[in-house]
Amino acid sequence: MNVRALVIDDSRAMRRIVSSILEGLGYEVQQAGHGREGLDVLETGWVPELVCVDWNMPVMDGLQFVSAVRTNPAWRSITIMMVTSESEHTQIVRALAAGAHEYVIKPFTADAIRDKLALLGLLPQEVAL
Amino acid sequence: MSTTDTGERRRGSDSRPLITELIDEATVQSIAEDAWIALVGEEELLVPLPGRLPDDVVSSWVDVVGPWTGTVVLTTGRQTAADLTRALLGDASPEVLDSEDVADAFGEIANVVGGNGKAALPGPSALSLPEVGSAPAPRNPADLCRVDVLWRGEPLSISVQGALPALPVH
Repeated sequence: MNVRALVIDDSRAMRRIVSSILEGLGYEVQQAGHGREGLDVLETGWVPELVCVDWNMPVMDGLQFVSAVRTNPAWRSITIMMVTSESEHTQIVRALAAGAHEYVIKPFTADAIRDKLALLGLLPQEVAL
Repeated sequence: MSTTDTGERRRGSDSRPLITELIDEATVQSIAEDAWIALVGEEELLVPLPGRLPDDVVSSWVDVVGPWTGTVVLTTGRQTAADLTRALLGDASPEVLDSEDVADAFGEIANVVGGNGKAALPGPSALSLPEVGSAPAPRNPADLCRVDVLWRGEPLSISVQGALPALPVH
């Protein structure tokens, strides 16, 4: 079974970059352009192991998305990683308090994403074991 | 009931920091270089040399609102912005770029540079969504930190500029 990830970012370019990294690691990836679109994907029943979500987005931002996911018990198993240029300490604390598991600050390297996933035990070969 | 104007508010605004007191050109250059390496490519260098921007330029920017309020602006020629987009998208780059592709990618670079610039400023601050087009003009020449670089030999400027006019001189 493929390990699935949802990438939510209002920048198409950033979605492509993050998706490309995850696909290279073996993930099956879907994309959404903002938090509301991300919730729409989850509401179809496609529940990924990982969500990578930006903070600053139109319609529904990343923090609102995290809070919405955490209110639904059916989505409790989802690991959420914020991938954002928002790098103030207070904001990181807010995201983690809202229910995000990890935080990656843009700009990042593919290795940085890989290392975070390894810490979370979410590299696809590990998940499959 | 009467109130007394103690002048506190006026004195508070009188001490409004200028960007040159908060961040220097080397820091802006370093932030931009980190963004370039991660987004554009590990081999991509920003050479700290001024170049003459072409007539046909495009800017991308984000606003920072907080103890210091202003805008982080990237400006370069339209063709260079398109080249940046292709470099950023790499293998995912479409055969024909449209203006939305360029606006999206160039805006995201401003978002990353601006977000990291915000982190170097006093907080808490809020960051706007990126915009692309004709950048707002600097309102106070003293509240401006500008770095001029060359990327692949093409000029590009990065400005961190205050959004507020200069305070009156007493």
